[in-house]
Amino acid sequence: MSKAQPDLQIAIEVRGLTREYTSRSFFGTVSKVTKALDGIDFSVKKGELFGLIGPNGAGKTTTVKILTTLLTQTSGEAYILGLDVRKDLYEIRRRIGIVFGGERGLYNRVSALDNLRYFSDLYGVEPAVARKRISQLLEAVGLAERADEKVEKYSRGMKQRLHIAKALVHDPELLVLDEPTIGLDPGGARDIRNMIREMQKQGKTILLTTHYMFEAEELCQRVAVISKGKIVALDTPSELKRLVRDISVIELRTYGVTTEYVEVLKQLPNVVRVVAELDSEVQTIRIQSPLGADLLPQVTSALPSDAKIIDRTIKEPTLEDAYLRLVEE
Amino acid sequence: MGVLDGLTPGKRVDGYLSRRGQVLRACIVLTAKLFFADPQWIIPNIIAPFIFTLVAFFLFGGQASTGSFLLYLVLGSGLMGMWGTTIYGSSNSIGFDRWNGTMESTLAAPIPLSWIALGRVLFNTFEGVINALFILVIGLAWFKVGFGFVNPGLFFLASVSTFLSLSAFGLMMCTVILLSRKGGFITNSMEIPVYIATGTMFPVSILPVVALPFAFLLAPTWGIEAIRLSALPGYAGLGTTYWTDLAILAVETAAYLSLAFVLFKRVEAYAKRNGTLEEY
Repeated sequence: MSKAQPDLQIAIEVRGLTREYTSRSFFGTVSKVTKALDGIDFSVKKGELFGLIGPNGAGKTTTVKILTTLLTQTSGEAYILGLDVRKDLYEIRRRIGIVFGGERGLYNRVSALDNLRYFSDLYGVEPAVARKRISQLLEAVGLAERADEKVEKYSRGMKQRLHIAKALVHDPELLVLDEPTIGLDPGGARDIRNMIREMQKQGKTILLTTHYMFEAEELCQRVAVISKGKIVALDTPSELKRLVRDISVIELRTYGVTTEYVEVLKQLPNVVRVVAELDSEVQTIRIQSPLGADLLPQVTSALPSDAKIIDRTIKEPTLEDAYLRLVEE
Repeated sequence: MGVLDGLTPGKRVDGYLSRRGQVLRACIVLTAKLFFADPQWIIPNIIAPFIFTLVAFFLFGGQASTGSFLLYLVLGSGLMGMWGTTIYGSSNSIGFDRWNGTMESTLAAPIPLSWIALGRVLFNTFEGVINALFILVIGLAWFKVGFGFVNPGLFFLASVSTFLSLSAFGLMMCTVILLSRKGGFITNSMEIPVYIATGTMFPVSILPVVALPFAFLLAPTWGIEAIRLSALPGYAGLGTTYWTDLAILAVETAAYLSLAFVLFKRVEAYAKRNGTLEEY
């Protein structure tokens, strides 16, 4: 039987990908096997911005590590730009760029310029070309004025913009963005999202992992929802939202609410799900229910006397509502 | 117009040697910048060698009847400093990325990790040269050690060869760190036994017979012999000639390098299978 020819329009192809982690005791005997990925399948078209979303420990980072050749799969196959992640390590690495979220991935004691020069050399960019690209990229990400400063003096947002420049320094065809806006303030996160859109306009294929559903909804053409190592849904954000078209969402902004009130809401008839963020002074509670506005009298009457509803809105369900249903099922 | 419009297209360096040369240069430059960015470099490279030399002179200086014995001490102290820096640097070369959070970025580069580590180890061993030179300066300036080298040209050749052999040894030790984050214990614990086995401060000939095979398998033993033969008048050492020592040094260095590259390949594959590469 002849080997199937790779589809030239597919940038990422994943088939039956499985990864197990084995914990061993002091004496080397296997004490625990954890399945981080359980036979996932998906493909990403060239030029597509594809999202991988899921809770912590769902398998997103394991998938990213395998696709970026940093980890070997236990079984299954994965191809990047038609190349096998197990065999064609260096060719794949040459053609992809990676943006890590958080504080990792940069040399903080040297300047942004030093970081970019170093990585451009590691990626084999011709020095004359690298000089031009580095200066253009620093300009593009708004760091040209502070390029000679040590990275340790940068804010989180500036570091993340430097990450983007670093990932683009060798002109990759495909970008893997692993939680690129994590820990950023709203302004910094918006800058990064704008850059992601820019990268897509340049024709780059982008694989984005994120915790933020609105980010995936805003940016991604298709989204795979991963939970407990399995892909539980894969579609466009609008199609995924159709999964929860039978419900409306009451969004409350409250003051002085405790978890007891949230528990009372969960017990109300026809309430599908309640998601509450009570940590900040102005709290947010989202109540999913097929009743929509008709549920409001019960919601209001259950409110304790020392708490206050600042405002209430009836909303269409978002990707987050669909996501919650998917990962909790 | 978008901010990323009009970027110069990326163009890559071709050729096996140019590519590796580029990586070595980048790693040496970055390691040097990181080294000098931390003012603590003065402690292991200036203060510690000074203390080493001082202790050596107080221990042996009174017995010295000739200037060449003092030069013997200075060379021994310098080589101890070089070895100490190499062994610390080899674990730091890759270990640094673990605690700095740059391990994934380093591993994701399209070049075998061994070349990245080699660049870093070369600079870390060079730190040892700074260290050794400083000891030499203390000896010459403070303790008035005579600068009467038998053959300065051969001394230079033996020193460069020893530097390369230490780098090759450091590269081999790097794989231990790659294998496990606890590898630093192993590399650090080798510091003192190698001081003794290679004859930096005591002649190898006074070691027990059972220790000799280990001493002879260490390339720095032969480098130190060659350095002393080219520097100290009337030095007999192990009874070998300068060129024999250099030949053995070259063979053992080549063996270390080959072993290091094989180990890197295997250990990297092992760590990828086990998911231990970025653990700190």
